[in-house]
Amino acid sequence: MDGKSNPTKGGGVSPGTRLAELVKRNRAVIVFGVFILLLPLWAEHIYKGISIDILFIMRLVGVFTIAAVGLNLLMGYAGQVSLGQGAFFGIGAYTSALLTVRAGFPVWLGIALAIAISAAFGLLVAPVLRLKGHYLAMATLGLAIIVFVFLREMTWLTFGNDGVRNIPELALPFTHITGFDLPFIKEKLQRPELYFQFYFIWVVAIVVLALCANLVRSRVGRSMRALHQSEVAAEAMGVNVSAQKIKVFVLSAALGGLAGGIYANLQGYIDPNMFSITLSISILTMVVIGGMESIWGAVAGAAVITFLPKFVEAIPKWVGDAPKWLERYSNYEGIVFGLILILTMVFMPSGITRGLSDMFRYRRSPFMNPFRRKAVE
Amino acid sequence: MMQAGDVLSGDARDDLLAAKDLTKTFGGLAAVKNVSFSVSAKAIKAIIGPNGAGKTTLYDLLTGIYLPDEGNVLFQGREIVGLATHEITALGVARTFQTIRLFTGMTVMENVMVGLHHRTKTGFVKSALRVPSGLREEAWMREESLRILDIVGLEMQAESLAGSLPFGQQRLLEVARALATAPRVLLLDEPASGLNAYETRELGGIIYRIRDMGVTVILVEHDMGLVMRISDEVLVLDYGEIIAEGTPEEVSADARVIEAYLGSEID
Repeated sequence: MDGKSNPTKGGGVSPGTRLAELVKRNRAVIVFGVFILLLPLWAEHIYKGISIDILFIMRLVGVFTIAAVGLNLLMGYAGQVSLGQGAFFGIGAYTSALLTVRAGFPVWLGIALAIAISAAFGLLVAPVLRLKGHYLAMATLGLAIIVFVFLREMTWLTFGNDGVRNIPELALPFTHITGFDLPFIKEKLQRPELYFQFYFIWVVAIVVLALCANLVRSRVGRSMRALHQSEVAAEAMGVNVSAQKIKVFVLSAALGGLAGGIYANLQGYIDPNMFSITLSISILTMVVIGGMESIWGAVAGAAVITFLPKFVEAIPKWVGDAPKWLERYSNYEGIVFGLILILTMVFMPSGITRGLSDMFRYRRSPFMNPFRRKAVE
Repeated sequence: MMQAGDVLSGDARDDLLAAKDLTKTFGGLAAVKNVSFSVSAKAIKAIIGPNGAGKTTLYDLLTGIYLPDEGNVLFQGREIVGLATHEITALGVARTFQTIRLFTGMTVMENVMVGLHHRTKTGFVKSALRVPSGLREEAWMREESLRILDIVGLEMQAESLAGSLPFGQQRLLEVARALATAPRVLLLDEPASGLNAYETRELGGIIYRIRDMGVTVILVEHDMGLVMRISDEVLVLDYGEIIAEGTPEEVSADARVIEAYLGSEID
């Protein structure tokens, strides 16, 4: 998972060994891929029992995973804190929605252009990267607000608060080949379109995860981590720090746009309020609780944040009559997210993924005690 | 404005790195004032001076971190003032930092591999797709970084986290990381500070080895024993100005140097 294989291993290995190496290197992707492939088998069975439509929600987890992994490259690896990922998500969603609804573009082209437009917007605003630390966080927060206001107020283009309706469903260019139209599959599955969306999103998400995992273990990934720790030193080592930051920012924006584009076609309806700063903060929370500098943390973070409200919603169905405050959960969801964010920062600063893997690997508690007196300092 | 012919003519051509009338003021205070010096290839030159004499500022001017108010810097006869730090590094001027600036969360080997950044070229797309040329380059980077770590004697620690190394080894890793950029000139900023006598002696050997590899070494250092033992030439700065320059023997006999270091004698 961390690619710290024996440094002396070089070329000149047999194809068998190479395959073994490939499997070993990608074991996380493979294990996770199999998990996703088989998930519908059990998820559909326990759906009725626990009143949580796992398959349905997992589609959203996949979408947010893509956005979160993009932000994690920027924030976790390159150290550039951004509160603007929701803006790129929103731009991607609106690009895809408007192009498919207003211009009649095919869905795949809408999503492709969602990536392109978000990336272009990222490039346009990239000069904010000259700011550092809190200033950058504030500037990107401003960006998120500006984009939100534009989406709401440019009614001639975006329909404003009415939102965009009847966005075409996710579909591949040649749907008939995918087999989901075949009658026997339709008989077998109660919800074929849900299966299609689930697998479509997760194939995209897993490809993105695998590519990002490769990226962070490469020369480029090292330069990102280096400039995170010392821009002066990275620059002195020959890394073009400002160019590298811009590239990561644009990549992060592109992934936000991809997630947004898929999201619009998944939901069929979008309005500006879905892309307010709350979204940016949710994505940021996903990255932090999943784990900074962790590609798989994006999955864990997206899963926790997306499942949490559905879980709370389901509680009344398990216990019969639940207390009133539980039913009003959505009103104070922001507080809960904030609390989770604070507790994670204090007790598990490296995130769930790192915390749990350390627990298994080194048999130590995943929690930190920040109040313990340190021997030094 | 200097003509290209001027730049290439005269002694500038033989010198690897030359500073001409460098001046840098901070809020009216001259940190570096009219400093001119040059180093020829494969020399070890020490820059000494009391604290606040402008030594680190001089390094920052040479490596493009600061722009000088006046003067210029020639590297291999080419003016490098105005180039970005990473461009100057790519040309062949590398440095270490007085306050250690390692990438502490990365392994020793990864630190050195960052130093190989400008000598390699696998970009975002090729890295994400793990194309064969990128993998070959990665394998080369690993071999090369081990070779460089061997020079400073850290190859056994290749997989340790840089931040977990003892202080003396962190200094050596800074040197290794700078060496990875394949410099023609290596600027060391107080490499011996915080080292014990044994480590300092080792460092002297390493600096000789680096010089023998064909790298010119400029050394800002307070450890006079080390400076006098290994340098070919010594430059003394005080209040941003050069007060003496010459062989270690000449400089240590210079009255102004003694005054700067020990204060003037009481009449």
